[in-house]
Amino acid sequence: MLTQFIETIRQRISRPLQYYEDICVRCGACIDACHFYVESKDPAHIPAYRMMLVKKLTQSEASGNKPPLDWYREFWGRDNRMADELQRAMWECTGCRRCAVFCPFDLDTALLVSAGRFSLLQEGLGPEMIAEIGNAEVSKGEIIDAIKEFYLEQIKALEERLQEETGTGLQIPVEKEKARVLYVPLVGEHAIVPVAKIFHAAGEDWTLSLFTATNHSFFVGDMTKAKQTAYYIVEEARRLGVKAIVYPECGHATRTLLHYFKSWFGEEIADIERINIVQLVASYLQEGKIRVRPGAFDMPLTYHDPCNLGRNGGLYEEPRALIKAVATDFRELSPNRSLNWCCGGGGGLIAAADEMEEVRMKAGQPKVEQIHRSGAQWVVTACENCKTQLGDLNERYELGVEIKGIIDLVADALIL
Amino acid sequence: METIAFLFYYITPYMAVVVFLGGIAYRLYRWQQKSPVTAHLSLFPRPQSRLGRLGDTLVDMFTLKGLWQVNKPLWAGGFIMHLGLLLLLLGHVRAFTDYYFLWELLQWGEEEQHLFSAVAGTIAGLLFMIPLFYLLARRFSGAVKWLSTPEDYFVLVLLLGIAITGNHMRFLLEVDAHQVRNFIQGLFFFRWQPVPVSAGASFIYHFAFVQLLMVYFPFSKLSHTIGAVLSKMVARS
Repeated sequence: MLTQFIETIRQRISRPLQYYEDICVRCGACIDACHFYVESKDPAHIPAYRMMLVKKLTQSEASGNKPPLDWYREFWGRDNRMADELQRAMWECTGCRRCAVFCPFDLDTALLVSAGRFSLLQEGLGPEMIAEIGNAEVSKGEIIDAIKEFYLEQIKALEERLQEETGTGLQIPVEKEKARVLYVPLVGEHAIVPVAKIFHAAGEDWTLSLFTATNHSFFVGDMTKAKQTAYYIVEEARRLGVKAIVYPECGHATRTLLHYFKSWFGEEIADIERINIVQLVASYLQEGKIRVRPGAFDMPLTYHDPCNLGRNGGLYEEPRALIKAVATDFRELSPNRSLNWCCGGGGGLIAAADEMEEVRMKAGQPKVEQIHRSGAQWVVTACENCKTQLGDLNERYELGVEIKGIIDLVADALIL
Repeated sequence: METIAFLFYYITPYMAVVVFLGGIAYRLYRWQQKSPVTAHLSLFPRPQSRLGRLGDTLVDMFTLKGLWQVNKPLWAGGFIMHLGLLLLLLGHVRAFTDYYFLWELLQWGEEEQHLFSAVAGTIAGLLFMIPLFYLLARRFSGAVKWLSTPEDYFVLVLLLGIAITGNHMRFLLEVDAHQVRNFIQGLFFFRWQPVPVSAGASFIYHFAFVQLLMVYFPFSKLSHTIGAVLSKMVARS
């Protein structure tokens, strides 16, 4: 049982993971960190317990590599209950890394979960939906020429509609060579329209990517496919000769851009700047390239730090600067920044929609309480997963708030 | 019994040192064998410069400031125990040699040295022992019991064994530091000296437990002493 899992994950134990496995003292600091455990009280949700499960399996007899003095690990044995626990431990996690902040050694359970998910899929255990979407993203790159025509037509129609609506000569360039910025959107026009308005106002020389930033293979820890998915964008950027790749309001994609691209693509990417749209728009505002109506929004509003932009990306000040530029009654959630509660929708759980819905709704409860306590009417954030999850939580727990994206906020307050 | 005592006094200490050093080398080698991860696994906020990150790692290591932020009782238990341990290690340097320069600087004679060592040793011994009881009790409570393996209990009980035998010698016996130093130095230079009789029976237990700890150290979670620095640097890469 679980032989495939053990074989695969043993190959995935990298140097940091080996430290983690060896040095975790199971002090329990992470117990209070996990929004899954706090709500479910299921031991399989305690970050250190997730580590214990994998340690037990990888160091058991089947691995053929028994370190000295580890006889006591036999104490547990392996059974069906363990496979169930392992599945909950690996899939019911949003990879938010709040536990890593709590850990006195900064052990990163998300790294373990990434390896664990990939290994579980080799056994056919887990919501395959996420992996399927990941595969579709990989194939999109292979058939891009076939769908390009249709995409360009749609963008043209959108452009015309926007020109009419705004009464400006706003452009949505695609395949524009030597543009400064390659903007990579998400599926759906909501990730294009406000950005196009801001780019127009800032007079940015930009072009829209044929691809989307999302990377579902990253969610399931399939790093080969994750790299391939990202490579289409690198290829496009090099073909067009752009100076910067800009990612949309999307947490996990931004994390790959900021922290994985350099080691994945090295020299190929060295002379191309890589930033998130929130950073770019904040710099426009700072440099006076765009003007907004100060105090455009006067209702109480709060900001939810998406895990991948905040503690995993270091973007704490830029979003706040943007919000404060357009809103009068800004309230911080408590706790916030690196200790902010995860919304409960990350790590691909949104993509596994129906299967994971109840789990998500439960894990979102600390967030619900936080929002409730803040007294905010609008919850602003900068991540697609967070927006969807917060919307679902809003409905389920009848919070009566509105969920907004930062870029929408800025676009609405823009002086064209 | 006497044969066993003889072994623990004069034979196994050498084995313990060899296993301890060899084990640490083995552990470092095993880590080195694994491939480094191809990403920056940073947690934010983090210092900008490399030096700043190393400094932040060391400050966090010696103060556990991250833990202070999120779990104060656990911080108290963990920090005070480690602080006591550090002070005790410093004190035990006197079992090999002495802080001659310090005594000269302070112009302290035999009597002052003895008094200082009694006061500081008592404080350090208590700082080390009392949190260990708390940490052990914690293992049986709430969610921590889910996380507790035989290894965790074993390490705590072993450390308590060392602490109790050590404090017994400190509080209830009048140990002659010269005897101890004579004995340990004898081991060092392979010129065996008689065991320190003034330390009583506790000495053999204390000495044997420490050897057991040294043997166990590299193969257990105690290797966090080294690994924590490495993993903290990963989180600031």
